[in-house]
Amino acid sequence: MTTTVYRSVRPVGHDGFGQLLWAEWTKLRTVRGWVLALILAAALTAVVPIFLASTANDNGAETCVRGLCQAEGQVVATGPEGGAVIDSFNFAHQPLATDGSITARVSGLHGSGPALRAPAGFPRPPSIMPWAKAGLMIKASTQPGAAYAAIMLTGGHGVRMQYDFTHDVAGASAASWLRLVRAGTSVTGYESADGRHWTEIGTAVLPRLIGTAQAGLFVASPIFEVAIGSGDGSVGIGTNASATFGHISLSGAQPGGHWSGTQVGTPNPGSGPIKIAVNGHRAVKVPMVQAGSVRAAAGTITVAGSGDIAPFEPIVDPLHVSFFGTLFGLIALITLGALFVTAEYRRGLIRTTITASPRRGRILVAKSIVVGVLAFVAGLIGGAIALPVAAHKLYANGWRPPVWPELSLTTGIGLRVVLGTAAIAAVVTILGLAVGAIFRRGTGAIIATTGVVIVPLILALVLPLTLATWLLRVFPAAAFSLQAGLPRYGQVNNVCAPYHSCFPLSPWHGFAVLCAWAAVALAGAIYALRRRDA
Amino acid sequence: MKTAVHAEWTKLRTVPSTGWLLIAVVALTVGASATATAIVKCPATCHADTTKLSLTGIMLGQAAVAALAVVIITGEYGSGMIRVSLAAVPRRSALLAAKAVVVTVVVLAAGTISVLGSMLAGRLLLPGNGFNTAHHFTALSVLHGATLRAAVGSVLYLVLIALFTLGLSTALRDSGLATAVVLCVLYVIPLVSDVMLSSVWRHRLDRWAPVNAGLAIQATRNIGKLPIGPWPGLAVLGLWTAAALAGGWIVLRLRDA
Repeated sequence: MTTTVYRSVRPVGHDGFGQLLWAEWTKLRTVRGWVLALILAAALTAVVPIFLASTANDNGAETCVRGLCQAEGQVVATGPEGGAVIDSFNFAHQPLATDGSITARVSGLHGSGPALRAPAGFPRPPSIMPWAKAGLMIKASTQPGAAYAAIMLTGGHGVRMQYDFTHDVAGASAASWLRLVRAGTSVTGYESADGRHWTEIGTAVLPRLIGTAQAGLFVASPIFEVAIGSGDGSVGIGTNASATFGHISLSGAQPGGHWSGTQVGTPNPGSGPIKIAVNGHRAVKVPMVQAGSVRAAAGTITVAGSGDIAPFEPIVDPLHVSFFGTLFGLIALITLGALFVTAEYRRGLIRTTITASPRRGRILVAKSIVVGVLAFVAGLIGGAIALPVAAHKLYANGWRPPVWPELSLTTGIGLRVVLGTAAIAAVVTILGLAVGAIFRRGTGAIIATTGVVIVPLILALVLPLTLATWLLRVFPAAAFSLQAGLPRYGQVNNVCAPYHSCFPLSPWHGFAVLCAWAAVALAGAIYALRRRDA
Repeated sequence: MKTAVHAEWTKLRTVPSTGWLLIAVVALTVGASATATAIVKCPATCHADTTKLSLTGIMLGQAAVAALAVVIITGEYGSGMIRVSLAAVPRRSALLAAKAVVVTVVVLAAGTISVLGSMLAGRLLLPGNGFNTAHHFTALSVLHGATLRAAVGSVLYLVLIALFTLGLSTALRDSGLATAVVLCVLYVIPLVSDVMLSSVWRHRLDRWAPVNAGLAIQATRNIGKLPIGPWPGLAVLGLWTAAALAGGWIVLRLRDA
């Protein structure tokens, strides 16, 4: 007798990851409160930044007359790329034809004495500012903001080739011989340690460098700025530097031409201390008392000067301030992420979920994907509505080029802000979910997540700058630098205060900090779910 | 009423989270205050309001206070305990009042310890950082007029935040929703108003938003320049608290549990 084992004719049910994702999606979309939370998050992300932008009428009183603007108490010029620039230095120059070159050996770059009118209790500036510059320049004209290419020694950053204000290329640090070669609109920079073996640093193509230009020797030394308190105040004093140029050779110039000295731009600050008060920021800038000079002696030329040649970074970032309004929507998403797990514990559904998918780690991964994707979409919709409208309102309120860039969804910064808003929404929601899985209590998880994501930001506004900077390097709040509306440049050494939405970490580094927190929390949550009874 | 308070006290005492949250109130407040006072150096930031600085931790401690107040009422809705509670104390206003009394007592106790701890940390740490007689600073003393007001006011501030949260949570019933709304009030509104670029709106929020106005009680320097005075500021928070409690009471009376 043979026995036949009974086998069901029904196909074997799948327990693949796809089914798990589908189950979690079904759970989420069938709870009315959670769907409302997503809609509310998208709406708040769109509406609050627009409100903040439309009321932002305390602009830094930008006034422009023929390309020279006054912004936040400083004189700025408009650079060849349309942005505001600081262009003030001492320049010994001669006219240069469309093809030619200039070579010189730079020595003895040093700061010349402490500023005399530094306020009491003010720390002394360093003997030489790290971004003090001495070198060779080919500039379209001596007008502030004119196109240029320059190669220089700096006080603390070695040899650099810089052009048109925003571009900065590092060279080797040991060189002291510099050379610029012009061929039409392109300028190539070389450096050498001995004047015989030359290394190319880079080539600049400057469309605005047309016809006869000015080639020569320049020196500049920027303002020394120190933050007060949480960075809501600052004091800056002008500094001075000088350097000696020897073995000067110039080709392409008129024979027998002589060096003329020009102070390009207005020394910043000008003749007296200027007080700047923008958005609760109180800044004082004290001028440098020594005037620039050019002295020629025995084949060498010594140039002394003050000022800077760099993009202008305003104190206030109005778009970033407006996008702090997305935090309301973010709290809605943190709540959704945490409750997406903790509600299962409260109702006992977690036991059913684990029975259906005994491999527990995958449950949390599936939940993270579902809630992360939905949060990303909510953030993307909210941000994509907020950015163009907020940018338009800010423009109407006087936050305009050249000082403040005009942003839209198609510009690099605008796109980064919108995608960044969505990415922050997704990862923070996943962090909330992971913390929820560890805590198993909604209230505790929501408060703890908000405590690491948002509270460091508000503490950074009131605490002293050292502690504030540390908080925004270590906590996930670092990721909010993704929403910055101003470009930041390494060759500008302003006081960087969280109070004015200047973050210590670059956007993507800050986002990496947030992702690291979320990854560690999720790993901890998966470990806890596997080890603990449900 | 006395038995209702006793019952609430028993409930609160026997929930394990209460003890942890009260420890968190003290630890967060004193820890953050001590960190802030340890970091500030006088020659750089001599203009700092040392009393306010020593009470920085209240910004963190209030989160644990809010958590306690949310849980004490929404926990009952979450587990269905509220129906038992209302069967035992049918007068709903008495139930809410009893919860308010219990919350007030524990937050008063934890708040006093936190504020005294923070002030002690300030008194010990600040002179070493340059806030001494050489720079015309006297050591922090809770007996000094403005400092006493800031210290007592900070304890009252925590109590008002707890009662505000209790009223709001009674009205909203859902722990997640109540927590989210309270966090927006405690952190996001002060953050946004601090950086916003409209002096008109900033002034409005500093005068009328619960946390901005309530924390004016901590200021001891430049009081004439504050958007709202210390006691009027705390009174604004008191109004918000009264409104939240009234809202909670109305919802508790009108809606089925």
